[in-house]
Amino acid sequence: MEHNKLPLTPLPRIFLISSGEEDPDHSIRLTRQLSLLPRSISCMVQIREKQLDSRQLLTLALEVRNIELPEGTLLLVNERVDIALAASLDGVHLPENACSPDKLRPVAPKLIFGCSVHSQKSLRLAEESEADYLLFGPVFDTPSKRRYGAPQGLVRLGELCRTTTLPVFALGGITPENASRCMGEGAYGIAALSIFQDPSQFVETIEQFYHIVFP
Amino acid sequence: MIPFLPFLCVITDKALCPVSLAEKALEGGAAMIQLRHKSASGGQLFSWAIEIVNCCKRYNALCIINDRVDIAMASKADGVHLGQQDMPATVARKIMGKNTIIGVSTSSIEEAILAEKDGADYIGFGHIYPTLSKEKGHSPLGPEALQEVSKLISLPIVAIGGISLDNAASLISCGASGVAVISAVSRAVDPSRAAQMLVSAIKKRNS
Repeated sequence: MEHNKLPLTPLPRIFLISSGEEDPDHSIRLTRQLSLLPRSISCMVQIREKQLDSRQLLTLALEVRNIELPEGTLLLVNERVDIALAASLDGVHLPENACSPDKLRPVAPKLIFGCSVHSQKSLRLAEESEADYLLFGPVFDTPSKRRYGAPQGLVRLGELCRTTTLPVFALGGITPENASRCMGEGAYGIAALSIFQDPSQFVETIEQFYHIVFP
Repeated sequence: MIPFLPFLCVITDKALCPVSLAEKALEGGAAMIQLRHKSASGGQLFSWAIEIVNCCKRYNALCIINDRVDIAMASKADGVHLGQQDMPATVARKIMGKNTIIGVSTSSIEEAILAEKDGADYIGFGHIYPTLSKEKGHSPLGPEALQEVSKLISLPIVAIGGISLDNAASLISCGASGVAVISAVSRAVDPSRAAQMLVSAIKKRNS
């Protein structure tokens, strides 16, 4: 199916995922992170707060939409196209078990649709359903994903990046020390969650990543 | 779009495959199926929704999706049913448009009046009687509350909560346009027959 391909401006290369621990009444972490973003560094920002009910999620999305953000920053919400439309976000990020982009795009043709992929099979499905970008991980060891077994590693990241023409964000245990190795394997950008949680290190970490993803 | 005659709405139950339950309920004469499964993945919900929408078309019945406006839109369901913790009806209307059915769960007169003001097409009202199907934060409202709310709003009211063959018809007398059930159909030995008996009870009341 034809759709408006990606925005004319390329996607940002740093992908910030929310903590998953937002308070239902006050989105303290995410709003603080976003207010600290350096003006010159645009990001992909994914609101991923599965513990919130739909009404709380909408409230958070509207609150985040109202923050003044660096030009080019794209706001995404996990899975919920309805929330993205209601809060005028830029897109949705779809976990592997979500409805696929080709089923959702007809009701929201202007949104960006990204897909998590963990295997060649899910890569093929994401490509067939015309995802706009891919999120692949965990590349490195990360406490939150240990229960799913060993990390995927750089070799698989490289294989995936060579197999697809879609932009791939590397996720899972990414630090300023290892990010350049992901880029070396052909990643388009890097995605992270926990490393962005410390407000005192936030700006420095973002800036370090920025210099790596735009060498 | 909401049936004029007293109708039966069957809400899917986690214990059964929603598609086969919907088929049986429709066979028995249900005029509305609500797909409700809070823990299913979006992909799973979407594929159930597509199948149930098709079944409903064959029976000239309505398929309503609980909470997930996105899934309702993508599956071309007839509408969405919103709880008080879901997206407000006004917001859902903005993104879904006029031609979609929006139902709102209410459990007080205030919520019912607000739902009407927010542009809902029908309200669910309950729970009327004690029920084990859902965790409840309040005591049963009773048929008197239903009677009262039906005098205050003009929207179709779907009574829910503890509804059985014994009390269904009386709720239509109290002003409900329809009744919604979960376990009365899903946990019946023969769900299709259970639906059929409920439908004939509420229709008989009307004739």
